[in-house]
Amino acid sequence: MEKQLLRITVNGEYHEVYIKPKKLLVEIIRDELGLTGTKRACSTASCGACTVLLNGMAVKSCSILAMQAEGAEVTTVEGLAEGAKLSPIQRSFLDQGAYQCGFCTPGMLISATALLKENPNPTRQEIKEAIHGNICRCTGYNSIIRAVQGVAEGKYREGGR
Amino acid sequence: MAYKCPVCSKVWPDTLDMARHVFGIADQAHKNWVNSKGLNFIELLLIQTMEPGNKGYKTLAELLEKEAEQVK
Amino acid sequence: MKKFTVINTPVHNIDGVAKVTGRAIYTFDVKLPGMLYGKILRSPYPHARIKNIDASRAEKHAGVKGIVTGKDTLGIKQGIWRRFKELCDEEILARDKVRYIGEPVAAVAAVDEDTAEEALDLIEVEYELLPAVFEPLEAIKEGAPQLHENAERNINVTRHIEWGDVDQGFKDADYIREDWFKCSSQHHVCMETHCAVASYSPEGKLTVWTSTQSHYYIQLLLAWVLGLRENDVRVISRYTGGGFGSKFELDSAQFCSSLLSMKLCKPVKIVLSREEEFMATKRRTPMFYYLRTGVKKDGTFVAKEARAFTEGGAYTSMGATALYLTGFFQAFPYVWPSYRYDGYRVYTNTEPSSAMRGFGAPQATFCAETQIELIAKELGLDPIEIRRKNSMYPGYEVPGQAWIQSCGLIQCLDKIEKWVKSRGKLPPNHGIGLAAYGFMSGGIFNWFDTPYAFSAAIVKINVDGKVDLYVGSQDMGQGSNTTLSMICAEELGVRLDDIRLHMGDTDICPVDLGAWGSRETLMQGNAVKMAAAEAKRQLLEFATAKLSPNIVYDLDIKDRWIHLIARPERGLSYYDVVKEAIRGRDGQPIIARGHYTPHRKGMISPAYSFGVQAVEIAVEPETGKITLKNCVTAHDCGQVINPLGLKGQLEGAMAMAAGYGFTEDLPMDEGKILNPNLVDYKVLRATEMPETEVYEVETYEPEGPFGAKEAGEGLTNPTAGALSNAVFHAVGVSIKNLPITPEKVLEALKEKKKKKEG
Repeated sequence: MEKQLLRITVNGEYHEVYIKPKKLLVEIIRDELGLTGTKRACSTASCGACTVLLNGMAVKSCSILAMQAEGAEVTTVEGLAEGAKLSPIQRSFLDQGAYQCGFCTPGMLISATALLKENPNPTRQEIKEAIHGNICRCTGYNSIIRAVQGVAEGKYREGGR
Repeated sequence: MAYKCPVCSKVWPDTLDMARHVFGIADQAHKNWVNSKGLNFIELLLIQTMEPGNKGYKTLAELLEKEAEQVK
Repeated sequence: MKKFTVINTPVHNIDGVAKVTGRAIYTFDVKLPGMLYGKILRSPYPHARIKNIDASRAEKHAGVKGIVTGKDTLGIKQGIWRRFKELCDEEILARDKVRYIGEPVAAVAAVDEDTAEEALDLIEVEYELLPAVFEPLEAIKEGAPQLHENAERNINVTRHIEWGDVDQGFKDADYIREDWFKCSSQHHVCMETHCAVASYSPEGKLTVWTSTQSHYYIQLLLAWVLGLRENDVRVISRYTGGGFGSKFELDSAQFCSSLLSMKLCKPVKIVLSREEEFMATKRRTPMFYYLRTGVKKDGTFVAKEARAFTEGGAYTSMGATALYLTGFFQAFPYVWPSYRYDGYRVYTNTEPSSAMRGFGAPQATFCAETQIELIAKELGLDPIEIRRKNSMYPGYEVPGQAWIQSCGLIQCLDKIEKWVKSRGKLPPNHGIGLAAYGFMSGGIFNWFDTPYAFSAAIVKINVDGKVDLYVGSQDMGQGSNTTLSMICAEELGVRLDDIRLHMGDTDICPVDLGAWGSRETLMQGNAVKMAAAEAKRQLLEFATAKLSPNIVYDLDIKDRWIHLIARPERGLSYYDVVKEAIRGRDGQPIIARGHYTPHRKGMISPAYSFGVQAVEIAVEPETGKITLKNCVTAHDCGQVINPLGLKGQLEGAMAMAAGYGFTEDLPMDEGKILNPNLVDYKVLRATEMPETEVYEVETYEPEGPFGAKEAGEGLTNPTAGALSNAVFHAVGVSIKNLPITPEKVLEALKEKKKKKEG
């Protein structure tokens, strides 16, 4: 199969890679670009561990061909912080202990980020629905919900934000 | 009074304890010994589940009472 | 000064930043230069003889670098019960026979995963099908297919626990009840599937990165089956994406990748797919339970007789331990004047059943607590009162088995009683059910046959005051890294950021048996405390000399301040003393060691945690659907070390245990798991999780570091029982068959209606 050119911006950096057309977005992110924060934990697009932002929307990157993201802007967990400055949701996760083994955490952070961008003041039910597609086997979800609520309550807001 | 296991010589305070040891360790040596004394190891285990009372263990304990060496 | 400076304060998990920034490298992420990718060919049959394997076409496939089968192994039957060779029955890569669907028969290494997958289809295996058996009660019948040569009637292991005179007890009882229960299997569903990257070098050294709960066990098991020197095998596991009991035995990813790497002298990575994870790893032990219980009419427990048949699956695995523990915890957390347990583990041609969070106790607790509720109802007794009346207490000795030192069960019952009362009258089809439990804090057994202390730690203080803490324990998400660092910091008298933890590498770390059986806080914690105390003692030697106080004064360190305990204002900075101590020792850093092995602590564990959980549910009578409304737990884990971590463990345990209670199941057809994916296997999702409330009951456990005991595993015990009791109170039916699905509830409601009308 002939390789095709994929032009994609990931975490603000523009990339041009030649890839086999059948490659999934998650494979390009992890294997081509070496961004291993995004994980895979199933082969039925059920677990959410591969969630990334695609043009601002939370999507399961295992259910998208990389070529479908041609020209798009992707954000992975590695793109949430600015250098050493963690994003509010990351800081809230730390304060709430909203992770244990950490394998689902990148996907959770992305889903939470997408939710808060669209709905800065979600109800508990809205938070649950936003992370419904992300399976966590360790936390029982409540600490994650508390972490999202923490950001929504404005705990991490800086002056002028 | 205590009893010495006729197979491995481990000492037990009573024959019911020794029966628990024999069933628990269940290695070939212990199984063979039980079977050589006219009982059937597996059958005793199954009787224990199928019949009320402690029948399997009691039967083995009775055998050990006869066969095991008593020690101080 | 307040009681603790570090312990019981909310701190960030020390791996937190790595995990929230995606920097944590799991085995899943490891990539080495020249690395090949492996895939495993697995048996499609539950019981068959392997007549021939022809891999010639696969070997010629472009991109394939090597293939291994059972013939390439030393043919060693391994198992984790190393002291009992008869229980070491699993070769992993089968040589003559396969005994379950999914058992590995060959493995391929290729330039990429797709190529390896294609090559699997080109391997021809000739099987001679054998009759198979899937249910334990069928497998023990005369004439049933025999799985292992030395296991007559497929009886793998039996266990017997007894005290008092049960038969007399039944004679004395006013009321006797008999019930049969069926406890289902469950899968761990770790987010990171089993995986390994093995790299064998020409010097004859093997390095394996793997997702594990015990790098020490994997090191030894690999050395054994591969014929290598123990310490020529290095196992690395800095981050493990979940374990829950599935990852402390040797698995096919580790074994096959190591074999391939040794053959090819190249790194080989094998990652199990989610389907393989479901089908061909290990799972919770399914059990058929018979309970016969005798009580007095005032609810005093008199006698209990328990019999369990467990579906062992194809190999022993950790099933022998689960068999014993289930029988032991069947009598928990109550005083039983007489008790008898007979457990039988039976081989069947299904995926081996082994350890999963709770290790036989969730099954036992489900049965026990469901029956107690029925007894209470029959006798017109209050569910809390009957439990309180028979509760274990500090100082109780389980005859011949265990000493209970700290026990806050009564206080837990009090707290739950208060909460239940506060709920008042519930709407129709709503119900609250509760269950009490107890659990172990690490086992005293050494069936693995290690010559080492069960846990060890090394503390090294550097000249800038930074402390290197070396532990053998494994953090698989339960938070041991943070808990242990906190124990070290508290004992040594420094802060958490003074601690730099080293774990997850057999080349560097001292031995610890691993994260299973809830042992890390108590056992590794004790070892860490001992090492920190010794390091402190060395520093205090110098500080005492410097301060030269009257002999009646003694010194301690708190929050980086070395001081006279009686006169805390008189002291020195920890940093200054460290510099002087190192200078005073010819420039050598302070090094101290600690270790822990339980001696003479009974048959099971040095200490036990306790708790009571209440679950409030709503049942839809038309569909049988259950919705979780509330979950409240009162528990006693001794001294809380890491409160943030503890809360997370409690909530996570509850979600997993609730799944066991009503949504998770592994239905099989002729040994084939029907739902090996995350669509059909239903773990709880965020939308199903209720709010949870926790009440801490503080006790002091003399066996544990600072009085601490386990928390994360015991909390998995009560939920299934609490759920069945909640259903009972909500709609009047008692389901004794897990999981409690809507279908079962509907069926039971129909039966109830029929009986009423009939």
